[in-house]
Amino acid sequence: MQFVSFGFLLLLPVAAIVNFIIPRKFRYIWLLVISAAFYISIDVKAAAVMAGTIVITYFAAVMIEKFSEGADKTGTGRTRLIFALAVITEVAAMLIFRSGKILGAIGISFYMLKSIGYLADVYRGDEKAEHNPLMLALFVSFFPQVISGPIERAGNMLPQFAYPVTVDFDRMRDGFLQILWGYFLKLVIADRLAIYVNSVYQAPENCPGTIVAIATVMYSFEIYCDFAGYSSIAIGVARILGIDVMKNFDSPYMAKSVAEFWRRWHISLSTWLKDYVYIPLGGNRKGTTRKYLNIIIVFVVSGIWHGSALTFLVWGLLHAIYQLIGYIAMPLRDKIVEVLKIDRNGLSHRTIKTIITFFFVNLAWIFFRAPSLEQAFVIIKKSFEFTPWIFTDKSLYNYGLSVSSFNVGMIGIILLIAMDILNFNDIEIRERIIGQSIWYRWIIMIGAILAILIFGIWGAGYNASSFIYQQF
Amino acid sequence: MKIKISSIIKTAAFLCATVACVFAASIVLRSKDSDFKYKDFFEKADQIDVLFMGSSHVINALNPAVLYEQYGITSYNMGGHGSVMQATYWELIEALQYSNPKCVVVDSYMLQKDYQYLDVMDESYSDDDRQSSISQLHLNLDCWPLDKLKIAIVKDLIQDPEIQKQFLADFYVYHNRWEELGSNDYKALFGNEDRNNLFGAEMRYGIELAPGIYPEPADKNGLGGHTVGEEYLRKIIDECQRRGIDIYVTFLTCSATTDDKRAIDSAQIICDQYGVPFVNMQEMGVVDLYTDLNDPGHMNALGSIKATECIGALIAESGDLPDHRGDAAYSDWEKGAESFRSSIYDMEVGSDSIYQQLDYLTQNDVSMILYINEGSQAFGDNQMQRLIHNFTVTPKIYHTDGPYILINDVASGQIYEASGSEMLDHVSTSLGTLHYEPVEHLFRFLYAEEDPETNFLYDDSKSDYDIQIITYDNETGEVLSHNYYKSYGSNYTKG
Repeated sequence: MQFVSFGFLLLLPVAAIVNFIIPRKFRYIWLLVISAAFYISIDVKAAAVMAGTIVITYFAAVMIEKFSEGADKTGTGRTRLIFALAVITEVAAMLIFRSGKILGAIGISFYMLKSIGYLADVYRGDEKAEHNPLMLALFVSFFPQVISGPIERAGNMLPQFAYPVTVDFDRMRDGFLQILWGYFLKLVIADRLAIYVNSVYQAPENCPGTIVAIATVMYSFEIYCDFAGYSSIAIGVARILGIDVMKNFDSPYMAKSVAEFWRRWHISLSTWLKDYVYIPLGGNRKGTTRKYLNIIIVFVVSGIWHGSALTFLVWGLLHAIYQLIGYIAMPLRDKIVEVLKIDRNGLSHRTIKTIITFFFVNLAWIFFRAPSLEQAFVIIKKSFEFTPWIFTDKSLYNYGLSVSSFNVGMIGIILLIAMDILNFNDIEIRERIIGQSIWYRWIIMIGAILAILIFGIWGAGYNASSFIYQQF
Repeated sequence: MKIKISSIIKTAAFLCATVACVFAASIVLRSKDSDFKYKDFFEKADQIDVLFMGSSHVINALNPAVLYEQYGITSYNMGGHGSVMQATYWELIEALQYSNPKCVVVDSYMLQKDYQYLDVMDESYSDDDRQSSISQLHLNLDCWPLDKLKIAIVKDLIQDPEIQKQFLADFYVYHNRWEELGSNDYKALFGNEDRNNLFGAEMRYGIELAPGIYPEPADKNGLGGHTVGEEYLRKIIDECQRRGIDIYVTFLTCSATTDDKRAIDSAQIICDQYGVPFVNMQEMGVVDLYTDLNDPGHMNALGSIKATECIGALIAESGDLPDHRGDAAYSDWEKGAESFRSSIYDMEVGSDSIYQQLDYLTQNDVSMILYINEGSQAFGDNQMQRLIHNFTVTPKIYHTDGPYILINDVASGQIYEASGSEMLDHVSTSLGTLHYEPVEHLFRFLYAEEDPETNFLYDDSKSDYDIQIITYDNETGEVLSHNYYKSYGSNYTKG
């Protein structure tokens, strides 16, 4: 069962209504039952791997807590050993099982990071070990997040499971709107752009250069809409169930630097890497060289987490290099701004920075998407071949999307950008919609439902593609 | 847990509004092919006495408008494109839920098909064939409401659960139609969408000039009695006999392959076993392979008239079915018959193809003058000669290099021919008393003695066209059309 499935659309209201009805103290059990059913429906064998992870995490955390009683914050040799063994086991399991060679375990990269983060929190004494195994099992397997995150922290989730908030009508509406936006991003934009991107990337060497460049930009929006769409559905579903999950995207393509991009893109992973890799390595507290090294390590880890192919490593390294260059060149950039008397807060300067940042991020996505480094270089080289006649000779529409469908994709992107600009300026769209009169609200909601059903890429003749981040 | 009654009411109202909007969208977006074909079936189900069942062969060959016009018998063509016998069986079962026909005519084409699932078929078929088979099944199934029977049908015909979904909830497949919506799609919202005015039949107006002729099978044992097609033909016969419905099994004329001929033998064997009549038009000579086919597999409208009249005669002979002609309650059938007759008339007067026009002119709804100039390449075209020979009893067309003239005056029932330097004089027609006289290569006379100033066969601006066809009204003699054609081998361009 996937988010984009009839089964899920039936499961969700049942889950929400029962969750709404049963006494608060039993809700976590119901959520665990639903989460187990959801995951088992995807893959029974993978559920065994998850069960193993839960058992290891549960006992490791309890033992760490037990052996660290009375010891100082960093723990004793025994707690260190237990922590190290548990983390090594889980990382090894993640690397082994996510490849699918022995047994594919969907979502393993996400729930493993949750588990490791929880163990680290207990080890550092930031969190108490959870003694209710069902509660911990729910934390690891909570169905809205289990496939592709957000990678939540125990400190945020366990108290909510233990003391869930009241699910009121506003919360329901808010969650519903968030789910609708997620489906719109996924089905109307991401999966539509995917048709074009896949068609071009199948043989980029045979495509006109500008087509390849357009497909590359489209991929940037595809992966954003795909992943942000998933996250939006996950957050909306959790919200309907009375659980607040952290924001995972915050207008990332509005960022004015690559460092800012990473504060806005896949926030749950970025903050996880910061909290559990970058800061333990010393962060920026041990000098400039060490800071740069730590950045490189963090992005290498990020690259490896995304996949074992060399392309992911290059993608991670590119982002590290962008940031290093950004830091190193900062005095020079400041000087240029000063000499040219550029208004740093001016719209044009901010826009240029956003565009340049998007360009670099876009360039890196080529490595993320390409099946090999060679192919990535072909795509980059091709992208710089200028063939503007594609806009007039109609060849723009020869790559899987008709004129109308292409235009729907473009309208979707424009809508997305508009929403991101509003969000960037702290205008909360959902709140605005909920604040409208019932007629406007209904028109917007029903319009969104119809747009998703009619313009979405789903149904016969099309296999609803899995979310891209599901593979990690 | 706090919830207000007003919230529940608002949620329920919102859900109702959403469902209504989605339902409206699904009506607009769904393919109208099946509704187009079967809308009249649902509306006239209680008037239907005969059901025609089968594949596209039936759709094109058995015309309820003709059956009504000739015998006053009401019928509906339930044929489906690419409909194999199991699909035909289920189509019949669905139809019998809504109507009580007294007679069923089922065609045995594709009896040799030996696969159960239309999405699987067998290894001899390509993926495109499978896709086409699935698409064609939508025509048969989309119109039926979702119920237990429809679910059973889909499970029997389609193996893949994913593909089954598109038959059970057609929005699953048709939501993608937003790009091709036309005015008819929106009319459906108010129930005003277009409908088939031939009661399920579809006419084709082309002509197959060179149908293939295939060897006879080595024996008369047929297919052996074990194909899926044969199994379902038996089920169809069983069902009809159980319900007391008269049944006729047919094989409608086409360019039958050796396999088709084995299927014919099998159909004969099965019909003999059940004691039901088998109408093998292939051997009856009712339909002319060379003039009455649209393509190797399907009859054209002329073929359909002949085939329907043939079946109609057999059904009418039984004497069980009432003649509804003249009954005001059946005026729509009358209109359908008129509409079809009008389409044939249009083909006679103004078809784009000379072959088609000559073919349809044999219907004699209008009179015709055909003139072919000396040296025309039409004289080397056997197919053209055959079509012209359909009007005459002489072999003149086969032995001339022109000029050649043929006058078919329907009112008098007379046919006049002349070739070479032959003249025609005092030819009495509805057009007048005609005089024909070839003068030189680019000039000839054809005028009515009542109006000698009008030379029908000469127009300076059309002097390079070597063929002319003039049609005129049988009664008034009014000229209805004057078509010019230029021959290039066996290709003809209309001027």
